[in-house]
Amino acid sequence: MSAVIEIEGLRKTFHSLRNGRRVAVDGFDLLVEAGQIHGFLGPNGSGKTTTLRALLGLVRADSGRMSVLGEPSPQLLPRVAGRIGAIVESPQFFGNFTGYRTLRLLARAGGVPIARVDEVLDTVGLRDRGDERVKGYSLGMKQRLAVASALLKDPQLLILDEPANGLDPAGIREMRDLMRSLAAAGVTVLVSSHILGEIQLICDHVTIISRGRRVATGRVDEVLAGYDRHEFLVRVAEPERAVELLHEAELTASVDGEALVVGGVTDPTVISRVLGEQGLWVGELTPLRPDLESVFLELTGAGGHPSVPRQVDDSGPLPGAGDAEIDLDVRGVDA
Amino acid sequence: MNLVRAEVERLSARRFVQLMVVLLVLAFGVTAATTLAGSHKPSAEELSSARSQAAEARQSMENTFQQCLARQNGALPPTDSEQYFPSDCSEIDPTLRDRLPIAADFLPGVFSFAQQARPLLYFLIAFLVLFGFLVGASYIGADLNSGGVVNLLLWRPRRMTVLGAKLGTLLGAVLGLAVVASVVYLATFWVIGQTAGLGGPLGGDFWRSLGAVHGRGLVLVLLASALGFAIATLGRHTSAALGAVAAYAVVWELGARLVLEIVDARRPDQLMLSSYIGAWLSGEARFYDSRLCTGTETGMYCEGFYSLTWAPSLVVLLVLTGALTAAAFAVFRRRDLI
Ligand SMILES: Nc1ncnc2c1ncn2[C@@H]1O[C@H](COP(=O)(O)OP(=O)(O)OP(=O)(O)O)[C@@H](O)[C@H]1O
Ligand SMILES: [Mg+2]
Repeated sequence: MSAVIEIEGLRKTFHSLRNGRRVAVDGFDLLVEAGQIHGFLGPNGSGKTTTLRALLGLVRADSGRMSVLGEPSPQLLPRVAGRIGAIVESPQFFGNFTGYRTLRLLARAGGVPIARVDEVLDTVGLRDRGDERVKGYSLGMKQRLAVASALLKDPQLLILDEPANGLDPAGIREMRDLMRSLAAAGVTVLVSSHILGEIQLICDHVTIISRGRRVATGRVDEVLAGYDRHEFLVRVAEPERAVELLHEAELTASVDGEALVVGGVTDPTVISRVLGEQGLWVGELTPLRPDLESVFLELTGAGGHPSVPRQVDDSGPLPGAGDAEIDLDVRGVDA
Repeated sequence: MNLVRAEVERLSARRFVQLMVVLLVLAFGVTAATTLAGSHKPSAEELSSARSQAAEARQSMENTFQQCLARQNGALPPTDSEQYFPSDCSEIDPTLRDRLPIAADFLPGVFSFAQQARPLLYFLIAFLVLFGFLVGASYIGADLNSGGVVNLLLWRPRRMTVLGAKLGTLLGAVLGLAVVASVVYLATFWVIGQTAGLGGPLGGDFWRSLGAVHGRGLVLVLLASALGFAIATLGRHTSAALGAVAAYAVVWELGARLVLEIVDARRPDQLMLSSYIGAWLSGEARFYDSRLCTGTETGMYCEGFYSLTWAPSLVVLLVLTGALTAAAFAVFRRRDLI
């Protein structure tokens, strides 16, 4: 399995007269291998867009080593740029041009056959609106145009920064189907998004960034497994008595509303046996699997108290968790 | 090559460019129409009367000069006090005049191409300089702000090539437009002169001097375009170029000139860009220097002017534009594009 994107120790500080120094990316690592659909997650302001910009040669990194499709970036980026389709943070287009003309200009500048323009407009569902001015497009239509521009080159690597931004539910599903079909055709996809359910549905690998640092990376199921506390949701007729019985059997248990959350055990039959022996029959027994959202919130420290508005820079590696990054990347185990 | 073609399309689709072209055509149409309406072909009588009037005027200038000389030599008694004579008669020597009255001066309502071509060309050049500067600045300024440059760089991650293609396209397009506009413009007025006015004496000298102004004007138009492009690139914004020029004009050309005059600095015009622009365009510009004449005996004639010629002026303009353009490329090469 060959690396398509490799980033090691990327660091980028923005300097401005008004705000002074701002460390946007702080020693970040990323590895995306061929054929992956790789999710790139992180809270607002954690450095995702900055990372992608640095990778694509739009901002100058302070330090770190990057390569794309085997070529060091940004030095030899021009060699492979024709094989990378990218959208970075909702690209802006010239409002007076039609969608068709916008793409045709890009195709011409990049030496892509003009016939591709109609194909990609069709792919993103803008076939009938291609001859309208971009300034008359809705947010989602502009986003679709952006995706079309990324697809124009027939890329081997697709980098999408929040492609679902502004898309309607049908559009999100179409985007998902599009990414799946591209991946099936051998395209490697790196996609950043805040819609975690979506990422969990389509991505096989994920990297989570917080405050400019990687806090988790690996196959989605393995990252989730790393956060599996092996807890079960249990429904019984007398929850209080059940808690006592389970405690006696040296399991952890607590009442959560109508149900119980039971932990400290890997085999769920233990639970039904302990309770059944005392005549308490289990009505429901469900393993509590972590989802990407809960892992994300835990890792990025973003799941604070609901009544206190969380500030963008509050997220970050939890205290003491700085080095406890989970790295479950198992090379060559891809399905 | 593909890049340039795409840029040409982008440039010509800009609203601002289209607006300026419409303005150009409009200004051209209005000038041509009013000239045509206010001019007629002079009749033979008008012509001969104008010729004799011109001859009379020249004769009277000559007479005055001769009288002045005579008085200076004491040959004429200073009784004729109604006539004013300068202390130095060479001031009114007709042969030292830039130009003498000619028939065209005495033909009201007749357009003379020979006489009007130069000022007309100056007007067109001024318009094209403004056009080049504004288009150069807004073309890159708007593209930097609308993300057009970023989009393009995702396709062609060679910054120098992309910026170079933009500048090259701009200069090529502006030059093409300027050449076409000025040729059509001069041709139209030439035709007006021939058919509804006075063709005038259009010898080789005339065309040579008009051609020189034309060529220098085109260079100025290109320099202005590159300058607008460079400043807008440096400042990341169209308004940076406009602001820089406005600030320069107010602070330096007006403010500093005033201060320099108050402190009685020598030759303040030498420090002003406008002097060099003028000198380049007309071939030579003359400026007053009060100290040139200090020390000359009173009564002796001293001109007190020094001149700037086109060659050093071109160097000044080229160095300024070249330095700013080089700086723009150097900065753009390393800049973070957001
Ligand atoms: N041009 C800039 N000048 C100064 N600071 C910047 C600049 N661009 C980004 N930053 C800072 O860098 C940090 C990372 O920003 P970035 O855009 O990479 O975040 P992100 O992960 O893409 O966030 P989001 O999810 O909101 O898109 C932020 O704190 C931001 O304020
Ligand atoms: Mg972002």
